[in-house]
Amino acid sequence: MATADITAGVSGKLGSVPEPWIDPPWVEGDNDYKSVTEKVCRISENPRPPLAWFVSFVIAASVAGMFGAMIGYLIITGVGVWGNQNAVAWGFPIVNFVFWVGIGHAGTLISAILFLFRQHWRTSINRFAEAMTIFAVVCAGTFPGIHVGRVWFAYWLFPYPDTRLNMWSQFRSPLLWDVFAVSTYATVSVLFWYMGMIPDLATLRDRAVHPIRRFAYGLLSLGWTGSSSQWLIYEKAYTLLAALATPLVLSVHTIVSFDFAVSQLPGWHTTIFPPYFVAGAIFSGFGMVLTLMVPARQWFGLKDIVTTRHIELMCKVITATGTMVGFAYLTEFFIAWYGGNPYEQFAFMNRAFGPQAWAYWTMISCNVISPQLFWFGAIRRNMLLVFIISIFVNIGMWFERFVIILSLERAFLPGSWQSFVPTWIDLGMLVGSFGLFFTLFLLFCRFLPIVAMSEVKHVMAYVDGKAKKAH
Amino acid sequence: MSKTHPSHDAPQGKRLGLLAQFAGPEELVAAAEKATDAGYQRVEAFSPFPVLGIDEALKNPRTILPYVVLMLGLSGMCIALLMQCYMNGMEFPGAPWGLSGYDFLISGKPSFSIPAFIPVTFEVIILLSAFGAFFGMILLNGLPKLSNPLFRSERFAAATDDGFFLFVEASDPKFAEAETEAFLSSLGGSGIEGIDEPVTGHAVPGFLYLVGAAVATLALLPPMYLWATSGTTSTVPRISFFKDMENQPKVKPQTTFALFKDGRGMRVAVPGTVARGGLKDDAKLYFGYEPEDGFVGGPRRIEAMLASYSVQPVADGPDADGADSATPPAADQPKEENWVTEFPVKVTKELMERGQQRFNIHCAVCHGLDGGGMGLVTKRALELEQGTWTQPTSVHAESVVEQPVGKLFNTISNGVRKMPGYKEHIAVEDRWAIVLYLRAIQRSQLATADDLPKDKLIELSNLN
Repeated sequence: MATADITAGVSGKLGSVPEPWIDPPWVEGDNDYKSVTEKVCRISENPRPPLAWFVSFVIAASVAGMFGAMIGYLIITGVGVWGNQNAVAWGFPIVNFVFWVGIGHAGTLISAILFLFRQHWRTSINRFAEAMTIFAVVCAGTFPGIHVGRVWFAYWLFPYPDTRLNMWSQFRSPLLWDVFAVSTYATVSVLFWYMGMIPDLATLRDRAVHPIRRFAYGLLSLGWTGSSSQWLIYEKAYTLLAALATPLVLSVHTIVSFDFAVSQLPGWHTTIFPPYFVAGAIFSGFGMVLTLMVPARQWFGLKDIVTTRHIELMCKVITATGTMVGFAYLTEFFIAWYGGNPYEQFAFMNRAFGPQAWAYWTMISCNVISPQLFWFGAIRRNMLLVFIISIFVNIGMWFERFVIILSLERAFLPGSWQSFVPTWIDLGMLVGSFGLFFTLFLLFCRFLPIVAMSEVKHVMAYVDGKAKKAH
Repeated sequence: MSKTHPSHDAPQGKRLGLLAQFAGPEELVAAAEKATDAGYQRVEAFSPFPVLGIDEALKNPRTILPYVVLMLGLSGMCIALLMQCYMNGMEFPGAPWGLSGYDFLISGKPSFSIPAFIPVTFEVIILLSAFGAFFGMILLNGLPKLSNPLFRSERFAAATDDGFFLFVEASDPKFAEAETEAFLSSLGGSGIEGIDEPVTGHAVPGFLYLVGAAVATLALLPPMYLWATSGTTSTVPRISFFKDMENQPKVKPQTTFALFKDGRGMRVAVPGTVARGGLKDDAKLYFGYEPEDGFVGGPRRIEAMLASYSVQPVADGPDADGADSATPPAADQPKEENWVTEFPVKVTKELMERGQQRFNIHCAVCHGLDGGGMGLVTKRALELEQGTWTQPTSVHAESVVEQPVGKLFNTISNGVRKMPGYKEHIAVEDRWAIVLYLRAIQRSQLATADDLPKDKLIELSNLN
């Protein structure tokens, strides 16, 4: 490591390799290209995954099965099984939808925005975060899909030639924008994720012994050889996709916030919603990445690749975005007072001191206060505390969306005020969506390369300065 | 140490080139540079991650991918804007296959409300550009290409792990087996081996493609059929995946239902109930006759009506509920002197005009505007020589003129001969209005000189 005389650089510019005590390497320990391959591939090649994986999978799959059963019950019985009512017509399904879509954003942010900013620390965690994005979007897409009531008509969301009605979708509605935004987001995320995985799938293919594995990974890696002309086009395509995904990730939660902001409801009809939603999405997404990453690096022996430094950096992002979200909460109150609209003022006073104030203060303590603990290095480096705070962030962000939806309880007309009470199906579906998410995630950990090996090797070669060191 | 033949014993095809391994990325770039400097043109490098400087060393051409993405992004913008303007801003009624467009007028926004169309346009631009980047990468790289002669080299598997390789193609003009091998060796390449065209292996039989295409086409037929039938009319029930509310678990009129003792799906009202507006207690008004006992509404009738609820209805009692009973039983037909002779409603000019309007709507088609019995339907029926048609009696006939108003009202309500009853279609006041108008047109046809005012009479006699 301490080969300070070696010169290597990024983008062809030669520069001196940083001294390890100033800028420690991103890949720790005595690792070379082969050992990185070995460490990552071993996870999916090991015929006996750790016991913790089996236990987690059985639990997650059962909960996901329960989710499926509840959806079946919902379809057979109707949306009356939820706590949604005349006043709070959106209820849990939309809370869960916004929550999961928000979580998805960290994946694209880490993959795309940090890539464009040449943040090399992203390479160890981007695959993980991208997979998280996709599974979160799957969970998110489920909720509006079943919220439409007659699930078999969910295709009515898309513009298609209707031979009976001769009518088309209404393109001036934020709900339709949402359909386009979320489906584009899901598609682009899958493309981005899959394309990034092609070289690593080729690695798994070339290491596979069992013919079925060889065939499956051979098919998925599309015959990738790693030739320089392939890498040339691949890198160009990856940069372009990152450049496309960056405005996309910002637009998606902006459009999700339009679902609220374009309405006339006090507490919803504010221009701060788009930036505030995007900050919250990144905040919640990083929280979820940490929730997944901290145990995973432990179980799968990835501590050299996903180092404490990576975790610390993510904690700092959480503090930054958590503070932005806190600032947005304050701004909302300020504007309610400064705007002089009595309905707006009532909506916010009702949020903080009304009958559902407990939800508001849960949100404040989880989202604004808990991330401030990451100012202390000792807490950032204590994996147990990081894990616990990341859970708080998840809880807080779920409550943020819940608090927003609760604005529906007390709108303009006191005669139609109605308190929201979730049913056990509401709660079960919230838990069930976590089951679906973790089931998909555990399957991903078992069968696909969970670290972008080719990118880690690239960073090892050119950032950590291994390029000239004979392996 | 060089090995010019792969280790497996399969028969060898044409030599494709030589593969050499290098220690690391820097060595690979240096070797590639020397190879191209030496005049080799068809050299390719393989590495587990993108190696910096390799493209310059190998003189790889730039890729057109960014332009592909740009073009797709621009077409995404055009497609999205045109799509939204077409679907929400214009309309072509009668266009086939549901492609008529729909001019939504929502929130007072203009038909082409571009600001509201921007979010979707933006998403479609991103979507198509991303397709361009992804599929462009796949196609420009010649993927998927699942079979590659290089994969037959065991050593080459390291190219996705920690191996750095240089491959000189046999088609290179400078390629000569022995010299090239020595050259690669001098560059520091190790494990140099020849790559041959594979002669063994399995190819997909050609007919399978045909079978696959046929199966794919056939698989499209059921959804196409469903789509085609969903928008057309048909004499048989439509096939639909989701029955939705087409079949409802309910008892329909005139059907049986085993749960009830009498087996009837339809229930009779609870004894003593009278439907809203069903208590027709003024016989003169509702039925046009004075009851026998002189009691208005007739306790006999109301008693019979209420009693009917307490007994099980019988099959031949069409008006078993009694509430709508307007036809007294045939044996119970009122005597001539019982028909109402005075209008039970107030006779006004408005009522007369209402009667004229109702008569022209409901009666004139058969009876003619003058009531003479030669309405359009009658004329047409006579023209067609319809044997079953009974020509309406002229309302000016003596037998009709002599009828009391109650009897005329009864005829309108319940019909006579071929004429159906109109009590379900025409409100009771309107029926009386028609009777009033009938009286007017009867008088218009059977008027005498005495009916005219004096001055008009003088005017007429002057004309003569």
